Amino acid sequence: MSEVERPADAFPYGGGALGALIRAFDWASTSLGPIDRWPAALRSVTSTLLLSPVPIVLLWGEDGIMLYNDAYSVFAGGRHPQLLGSKVREGWPEVADFNDNVMKVGLAGGVLSYKNQELTLYRHGYGEQVWMNLDYSPVLDDAGAPAGVIAIVVETSETVIAERRVRDSEARFAALVNATSDAVYRMNPDWSEMSALDSQGFLVNTEAPSTTWMDDYILPEDQPHVREAIEAAIRERRPFQFEHRVRGVNGSVGWTESRAVPLMDAGGEILEWFGAASDVTERRRAEEHLRLIINELNHRVKNNLAMTQAIAAQTFRGTEDVGEAQQRFTARLVALAQANDLLTGERWAAASLRGVLEQAVRPHCGEQARLTIEGPDVQLSPKTALALSLAMHELATNALKYGAWSGETGGVAVTWHTYRPENDEPERLHIEWREQGGPAVSQPARRGFGSRLIERGLSAEMGGDVKMLFEPAGLACVIDAPLTLYRSGE
Amino acid sequence: MPLRILVVEDEMTIALLMEDMLTDMGHEVAGLAMRLPQALALAETVEADLAILDVNLDGRMSFPVADILRRRGVPFIFATGYGSAGIDAPYLDVKVIKKPFLTDDLAVAIRTVA
Repeated sequence: MSEVERPADAFPYGGGALGALIRAFDWASTSLGPIDRWPAALRSVTSTLLLSPVPIVLLWGEDGIMLYNDAYSVFAGGRHPQLLGSKVREGWPEVADFNDNVMKVGLAGGVLSYKNQELTLYRHGYGEQVWMNLDYSPVLDDAGAPAGVIAIVVETSETVIAERRVRDSEARFAALVNATSDAVYRMNPDWSEMSALDSQGFLVNTEAPSTTWMDDYILPEDQPHVREAIEAAIRERRPFQFEHRVRGVNGSVGWTESRAVPLMDAGGEILEWFGAASDVTERRRAEEHLRLIINELNHRVKNNLAMTQAIAAQTFRGTEDVGEAQQRFTARLVALAQANDLLTGERWAAASLRGVLEQAVRPHCGEQARLTIEGPDVQLSPKTALALSLAMHELATNALKYGAWSGETGGVAVTWHTYRPENDEPERLHIEWREQGGPAVSQPARRGFGSRLIERGLSAEMGGDVKMLFEPAGLACVIDAPLTLYRSGE
Repeated sequence: MPLRILVVEDEMTIALLMEDMLTDMGHEVAGLAMRLPQALALAETVEADLAILDVNLDGRMSFPVADILRRRGVPFIFATGYGSAGIDAPYLDVKVIKKPFLTDDLAVAIRTVA
């Protein structure tokens, strides 16, 4: 092997680092033979590729002996400089099949062109995916027959990976839009134009850019507030966030929590706004419902306190026996609390007459046989149920203390029926409380709270007549009132 | 000076308490209604110097009763567990007493109106 150092002014002239390497290479040991005997075509193409800034490699002869320029050496990475003068199938063993085809086609006079061809190359001792634009064309020898293949190799890996990232990102974004129930929208920098709105059924979609989006989605009376929030976000270059009403599909009005972030260029100028609007209609409805419930609860608490005050005032009014009055007061509070239970059980909607009587009267009667409760069940409004419950409590405690249940044998019958005085007249409810078998009854000298509650209070409550009859055989209470009042649940 | 007073109150025990309070003050209860229909009818016919109106009558607002009383020139006050928050805009100038209230609260309210 003879090492012949060729001067810089010999062929190939110039050509940077590769020019020097080629001049210094021992070509006699390859199938190309000594450099000064190279055919004119080989010398010409070698000179040309060495002067090109584009990565070019020449594969000469059946073996594809490799000659390339500085730009290609950068592409070749760690494979350079061993590649120079090597056979292409051996120089790139990992893509030997690919290059075998290149050689066969090229030497047969054909051309090959690949766009973003993906190959796995071992340029740095490990496999990496590389994308390239590859253009192969035959090089003719001095006699005009294909003697080699010239390849322009432009690596496009960075572009391909960047494009793939964009594509993945767009796919992820599309998946996000599909996965979320939010409406996703885009606005131009000053929000005068909505470029698109994509909603999963909560809002009507805007496919084409729209300058009427404000009127399309926002109620006229809310527009000033929304505008104000938008202007503040633009002015301060911060995310827009606002909860407002919105026109939904099929004309319904809902609530949305809308958030948009500004996308800015390198100079900090807003390019567009990207937003998501979630449907918070249900949450708003629940909040409103809760507010109403709290108001109502507050009212009922106050009302119950006022009722407690009323019961206390009337129980202790002009009383001499404080101990007895205390017991009565406690019993009345318990009756009030139980009546509330009854109503809570019916969710404050309605209570049954039978339920009211069973709860208010039954606990006072020691023997079940001494109480009859009989009649067709009727639904009462909560207020009427409460009033009737308190009235029945008064009758029951009175019966236990002075009436039919005070002795060994007396009994109480509570019966009721509904009827119409004339055919077309509204239905009425007739309730009778009748005691028998107790001590003889006489007209009381003074009417207490109980009788007043029953005669004055209950009659006003039920809008009918309520009479206490102090008959010698036993106390009776007769209630006669329109039924419609409580059936409607007013 | 004894006054004739209309009481509109849907809670039986509270209605009786108000009757007692008013009687103790020397006034006369000119009428008692516990539901909106009766209150509307009574407001048209009652001869009263003053009315005390519960705002919520078993779920229905008593404002139509207030309208009749205004038309007839009968002064009135509201008595409610909701406080001023439950009063509609046209009646915000009406005196409100919050339940539960004392006899003195009621007396003061009556004096400011009658």
